[in-house]
Amino acid sequence: MKKNSKAMFVLLSTLILSLLLAACGSNESVNSGDSGKKKTKLDFVWFSDGVEGEVMKEIIADYEAENSHVDIELIEVAYSDLPTKLKTMISGGKPPALARISTSEIGAFSSQAVDLAEKLGGVDGFTSQFLDSIKPYYVVDNKVVASPMDVTANGIMYNKTLFDQAGVEVPQSSDDIWTWDEFNEALKTVLNKSDAQYGLVWDFTPHRWSTLLYQLGGSMMNSDGTAATINNEAGVKAVDYFKKMHDEGVIPTSVWLGGENPNNLFRTGKTAAHLSGNWMISNYKDITDFEWGVTYMPIGTNRSSVPGGKFVMAFQKSGVEEEAANFISYLSSKEVNSKFNEKSLFMSPRKDSADLNYEFGKEMFALFADELNNTVPAAAEDWSKQDIVPKFSTDLKEGLSDVIADGKTSQQMLDEIAELINEAIEDTK
Amino acid sequence: MTPTKAQKTFVYVLLILFAALWLFPVVWIFLSSFKNNTELYQFPPSLLPQQITFEHFINAFEKGNFGRYFVNSAIVAVTSTLLLLLINSMAGFALAKYRFWGGTFLLLAFISTLMIPLEVIMIPIFKVLSALGLYNSLLALIIPPAATPTGVFLLRQYLLTVPDELLEASRIDGANEWTIYWKVVLPLCRPILAALAIFSFMWRWDDFLWPLIAISDPNKYTVQLALSNFIGEFNVDWGSLLAMSVITMIPVLIVFLVFQKHLVSGMVTSGMK
Amino acid sequence: MSTESIAAHPQPVNKRKRKLQLAPYLFVLPNLLIFTVFIVIPTILGAVYSFHEYDGLNPMTFIGIENYAEIFTDVKFWQTLGKTATYAIIVVPLIYICALGIAILLVQQIVLKGFFRAIFYWPTMISFIIVGLTWRWIFGELGIINGVLEAVGKDSVSFLSDPFFAKLTVIIAAVWSRLGFFMVIFVAGLLAIPKDYYEAAHLDGASKLRAFFHITLPLLKPTTLLVVMLTTIEAFKAYPLMFALTGGGPNKATTYIVQYIYETGFAKQELGLASAMSIVLFVIITIFTVLQFKLTKGGEN
Repeated sequence: MKKNSKAMFVLLSTLILSLLLAACGSNESVNSGDSGKKKTKLDFVWFSDGVEGEVMKEIIADYEAENSHVDIELIEVAYSDLPTKLKTMISGGKPPALARISTSEIGAFSSQAVDLAEKLGGVDGFTSQFLDSIKPYYVVDNKVVASPMDVTANGIMYNKTLFDQAGVEVPQSSDDIWTWDEFNEALKTVLNKSDAQYGLVWDFTPHRWSTLLYQLGGSMMNSDGTAATINNEAGVKAVDYFKKMHDEGVIPTSVWLGGENPNNLFRTGKTAAHLSGNWMISNYKDITDFEWGVTYMPIGTNRSSVPGGKFVMAFQKSGVEEEAANFISYLSSKEVNSKFNEKSLFMSPRKDSADLNYEFGKEMFALFADELNNTVPAAAEDWSKQDIVPKFSTDLKEGLSDVIADGKTSQQMLDEIAELINEAIEDTK
Repeated sequence: MTPTKAQKTFVYVLLILFAALWLFPVVWIFLSSFKNNTELYQFPPSLLPQQITFEHFINAFEKGNFGRYFVNSAIVAVTSTLLLLLINSMAGFALAKYRFWGGTFLLLAFISTLMIPLEVIMIPIFKVLSALGLYNSLLALIIPPAATPTGVFLLRQYLLTVPDELLEASRIDGANEWTIYWKVVLPLCRPILAALAIFSFMWRWDDFLWPLIAISDPNKYTVQLALSNFIGEFNVDWGSLLAMSVITMIPVLIVFLVFQKHLVSGMVTSGMK
Repeated sequence: MSTESIAAHPQPVNKRKRKLQLAPYLFVLPNLLIFTVFIVIPTILGAVYSFHEYDGLNPMTFIGIENYAEIFTDVKFWQTLGKTATYAIIVVPLIYICALGIAILLVQQIVLKGFFRAIFYWPTMISFIIVGLTWRWIFGELGIINGVLEAVGKDSVSFLSDPFFAKLTVIIAAVWSRLGFFMVIFVAGLLAIPKDYYEAAHLDGASKLRAFFHITLPLLKPTTLLVVMLTTIEAFKAYPLMFALTGGGPNKATTYIVQYIYETGFAKQELGLASAMSIVLFVIITIFTVLQFKLTKGGEN
């Protein structure tokens, strides 16, 4: 018994001591932050796919050297936690100064954003510096709610080793682009005449599927956003063709039904092609066991990619809106923006820095830029309607899987989605 | 009652069989963390890395101040566990050995709240934390999660098996309630407290949601929070994730090995002899 | 309930009831205080959302019980709940039996006891995202099983694209990753059974099997109740594992209720509706928990 109570005493005192320690520890660092040189602290919520976090830290260091009164802290979170993190901070009354934000979230947070127009030289003055196709994402109600950092384009990466083995040559210029039928046949040839096990892997998101929709002349909504158009003839054709490629075994069902990561499938070297986007270039950079490249996406009634990107947003009520806007202005300049994109292997949204001096894959970026230049306006118009898109995108993703699994017909599924879209439009009125 | 040789052999064969099944995926994770990216995605997969590389470990450590994160996680896990053992055993003792108005209700209310997905109430939790000045403080990761319903329930159920006569004897000797708890009940609870210590350390070490809600200051990141940063929008850095997962398992494993030794019989007899 | 239990207890308990009213409250207080401040209050605040339209960001608008009305007509919600219940009915007994079985083996006199216990406990430390990845390595398109199939010249099988195999995989992964936790609880529970009971049974000439059914199981009742309640709640909350392993597919086959709530609250940004769903789920589980608790008299003997 005596031994036990001794142990308990030790235990209790350790507990109290360490609690005190933890409490002190937290106070201490708060003090040291404040007692410095009265710096203005900017919290910058950030997520990374690759090295861009490191690049941003360099840029921040440069900026802090020039502006000694500012202290920018990168709060890194997983991409999937970004919306929850921002929501708790904003609704909890402690909004961060800045956040990196993707096209999927920008709409939801635009009501909380600082209008940057004035700081950045007026709406027209600012937007004219950037690619027109992404304008609907960051200009909401004639306010500049965020500044574009990089732009993305959907496109196709292919396994050159397998294509060579099968003796199939990919289009060399935008003049001899494949039609979808030609592409489908080419993939079948590669499947038959090479070691390929999978023809085309297609990212498991409605956003990537919509590439086909736009190429076949379809859209999700009409251009003024008053009615769903996804269930028209072009839409049905896009779903039918997508299903046909699954049925013929060109696209493996394991991605859209089995949740297999297409990126991993492509990396095995047994997959002929991957429909994804330019962000994959930095991911595939270290592949050593086969050759790969980027090729033109096939043409339907027209060519099209889907533009996207990442932005930086400043939040209202952070108490440091002014400093945050200044930093965004710095980030948006040609020099800094080019540095960020060049080092991160991203595409610049600025019209005047399309031709960056990348360390890797310069010609691949040129091809993606070409895809972006041949993109229908509907793509950005649809995906920028962020008060409507979240209400149906999960259902669209499930609906497409359902069609592949023979659960519904294309028309049935699209009619249901169209209904959801129209309901969502009704709700926002 | 000594088991026959055949019985013993049977037990061992069964154990080794199951253990091998259980261990295989763990071994796979461990070995994979030493494979380079090409091998990681290779098909057909191979168990042993053909070329052992430490690149994932190096990359992971370069991507953040992991030394700091380990210290933070350790402070949180140790203090929170001590606090949990104390308050959960007190509550468990009360719920098992006293009948008092509201007792059962309290217990069931505790347990039922386990069902509320924490994600849904994140915003109110944040508001409470920041109202109490706990935002960006490690205390927010130590105090709130220490009041686990599971721990209270575990202690209560364990103490139900402790015969009341043991407590009565001390009571007749004139011990007060605190002394009974401290000198009689706690020593009896050794195995279950050891189990709870193992759990609590793991819960806090692996906790993700509380740190996500409460911590924004990178200096106060825990290991799990930092780990999740390997997950981007389009890319997951599986190599770094695997490497760090292997490393973060080590402290939890050590705690398990130390405390499982205390998973021995608490009472030799029923006290009814 | 309290009167009948008191009657079943020996006298001293009854006496204590009157004399020592304050002590139990004081013992519960620290835990209760922390729990109330950090969980109960936020839960109540969260429950307020359920009567509002709220996206977690912009001001909420009061809509009365509209969210609840929507849930009652939401076929998908009830289907998903049914699927979750089926999953629980399979996984709860499976974990119970396996964890108890292993625990019984691991309280025997065996060499390397700690080592074996560690092996079974190990998977519980691995985060679900890595658990998902690992089981993909086994059952996935590029997994070990398909690697073996290929090596013997058979076509590979897309296990996770098939609803049946996907569900099976999820169950196997769940048992694998959670067994260790409950094993430890059972080990502690088994150790609490006084040894002299077994000695007495042995002297009476009872077989080991008889001793298990007549001594171990009845005396393990409190632990049994605990494990069944915790595994049930866990099964109903299952989501991170599926999210990492199957993404909820194929075609929603492994999407369970909490994932559905999560998607409603965050992907669709209807936090009010998600809050109402959580409350409905909470009520269902509470009824179930209370029933279980009352039927087993809280696990008391």
